[in-house]
Amino acid sequence: MRTFRGTPVPRPARTAVPLLAGALLLGACGSGGAEGAGSAADGKVSGHITFQTWNLRAQYKDYFNGLIDEFEKAHPGTKVKWIDQPAENYPEKLSADAGGGTLPDVVNVSPDLSYPLAKAGLLMNLDKEPVTAQAKRDYTPEAWQGNELPGLDGAYAFPWYLNTGPLFYNKALFKKAGLDPAKPPKTYDELFADAAKMAKSSGGKVATLAGVPAIEDFGRYGVQLMNADATKFTYNGPRGVELLTEYKKLFESGGLDSQALSATPESAGRKFLQQRVAMNPGSAHDLANFKENAPDLYKNLGITDAPADTGKPNMYVMGLGINDRSEHKAAAIAFARFVTNQRNQESFAHQVAVFPSTKGSLDKPYWTKDDGTDEGRVRVASAKMLDGAVNYTPVVMTDEMKTVLQNEVAKALQGDKSPKQALDDAVAQSNRLLQQG
Amino acid sequence: MSVRTQGVRTHRAASPWLFLLPGLAVVAVFVLYPFLSTVQHAFTDARTLTPGVWVGLRNFEEMLHDPQFWTALRNSSLYAVVVVPSTVLLPLLIALLVEKPLKGVVFFRAAFYTPVVASVVVVALIWVWMLDDRGLLNSMLETVGAGPVSFLGDAWLVLLCAMALTVWKGLGYYMIIYLAALAQVPKELHEAAAVDGAGPFRRFTTVTVPAVRSTMVLVGALSSVAAFKVFSEVYLLAGPTGGPAGEDSTLVMLVQRSGTGLSGRVGYASALSLVIFCIALLLMLLVLRADRKEKTA
Repeated sequence: MRTFRGTPVPRPARTAVPLLAGALLLGACGSGGAEGAGSAADGKVSGHITFQTWNLRAQYKDYFNGLIDEFEKAHPGTKVKWIDQPAENYPEKLSADAGGGTLPDVVNVSPDLSYPLAKAGLLMNLDKEPVTAQAKRDYTPEAWQGNELPGLDGAYAFPWYLNTGPLFYNKALFKKAGLDPAKPPKTYDELFADAAKMAKSSGGKVATLAGVPAIEDFGRYGVQLMNADATKFTYNGPRGVELLTEYKKLFESGGLDSQALSATPESAGRKFLQQRVAMNPGSAHDLANFKENAPDLYKNLGITDAPADTGKPNMYVMGLGINDRSEHKAAAIAFARFVTNQRNQESFAHQVAVFPSTKGSLDKPYWTKDDGTDEGRVRVASAKMLDGAVNYTPVVMTDEMKTVLQNEVAKALQGDKSPKQALDDAVAQSNRLLQQG
Repeated sequence: MSVRTQGVRTHRAASPWLFLLPGLAVVAVFVLYPFLSTVQHAFTDARTLTPGVWVGLRNFEEMLHDPQFWTALRNSSLYAVVVVPSTVLLPLLIALLVEKPLKGVVFFRAAFYTPVVASVVVVALIWVWMLDDRGLLNSMLETVGAGPVSFLGDAWLVLLCAMALTVWKGLGYYMIIYLAALAQVPKELHEAAAVDGAGPFRRFTTVTVPAVRSTMVLVGALSSVAAFKVFSEVYLLAGPTGGPAGEDSTLVMLVQRSGTGLSGRVGYASALSLVIFCIALLLMLLVLRADRKEKTA
């Protein structure tokens, strides 16, 4: 008889066997975690380790191969196997690896991905080991804090690259609507006013935004998203209701795209590319796409901060976690530290439009002086935004909880529920999911 | 001679099992084990990275209080109600059209079958472009002074479009099954009915339908199970949230949403899978029972 945490689970009844004919109807849902403790964190740096990145091989193969060669030469006896996963379904890939006990020794994670892994005891708590805790001084406090997980007492990934969420806007559409392209909205009130004007002047044909407000919008509007110990969602307060009420008015006036209620980041990006919406959040990665696929848009591209009534923009944090069950933990730590050291982070950020998380890097001219190019303009603007930026997305918020919020927001926008009721329901459902662990 | 006979007799009982062994092993590993594992997980609170504890019927109780479950059940049931009759009747009518040995009929057979071999993702993306606010369909509507219609912005329209896509994509597959069945219908029956003065419609209802009734039952059973398992079409047209406010979610989408990711609720998703299995099994049994009753009547 199989047991789960010591509680016996009855063997499936023999009568279930005749149901085999229909077994094809069922999908297998597996679970489980790897067993066994890893090696010492302060041991000898040697052995074969695996290093997993998230959609970086296609463009930065030479950079990473160079890093690996250099590391292996500096540490004889080490061998790094680099694995790169495609952008799509990365969490599913991680969960399959974790469940199968094959989580790489060094793994590229964002805080929302490291949270469930850390909670299952699969990632190393960097604050607990002296050899890793001392690394804290090399990174900006915001970046280190970004990898600290609520309720788990520590940071679980070495800070790697940072990114902000610049808001792109179409200057031509702004001009056509009688708005000043040099003055994009800085606060949500300005955004709502501009969007209403845009919808009116275009006869409802051009919307300002392609999606509904996400949790980051609530954060930037100044809504308290969770309680202090991150055990309950609280975004259904008066400020949250106020934001949703404004969005409802915006939706009714045509300020949001007609398909906004079920939009994905990809579909919203497509609409912006087709110049059917005037503003869209994105990242510096998008510039090349605009340049290649929408040269007309690129000519009229404006870049601004996402509206933030708090004055603090959103920050996306990437990190490198260490598999707590790694057989070569010392080598894994050394490699993660090597990839995320100042020189290598800055070198990487010169190749791709991201920002280093090491102390003092962003004070260097590359991130403070506009070199007159479009890329330089975005880089300096985004780097400036990082000062005081906050990762608004609560790390305990799962994709399912985000969908719950999006669907309840959609109900409010459609008028099926009042904004208050919709947010109360979203919070209740999310808290129930949170309590289930 | 007697020794050889003895040898064959000795292995007679075991031989079929030995031949079946490789197949049975594959079924055991890839069907039986996942099935039993899913049944077991349905009664636990397992998550993707943490093994669960036995919680009895709690997942099923939670399902009863989950509004998303009822929405998904409604949509999956509607899917079955609309898609099953369509996929039973339309392919039969098309098969009747293309079974005739006319010039160029091979082209039409191939044309109807093409969607079957096309990837559902590619097909759905083409439909998304077609149904978009500024897509082909709305452009056509605008030229006649109608529209635009937000096919992908209205929950009911998204569901209807997904149903149409499922039916369109399945037409060719079921048409082939019907063509095989129609080839078995004796021509003499049609000739005799025609001699008796039966027109085309009468011959269809009194000769063709009874002759292919077993195939219709098979198609009905297959398409009803497929309808309850629908995922790709709705997911691609409605998006991962299940359409506006999740109003287009189906049961399998709910399984995907709740059971995947690093924090997936494997126990709850398994319970949902078990419910889908039971519904599909029940549907198949009902169809087969109805068929048996008609045969004995």
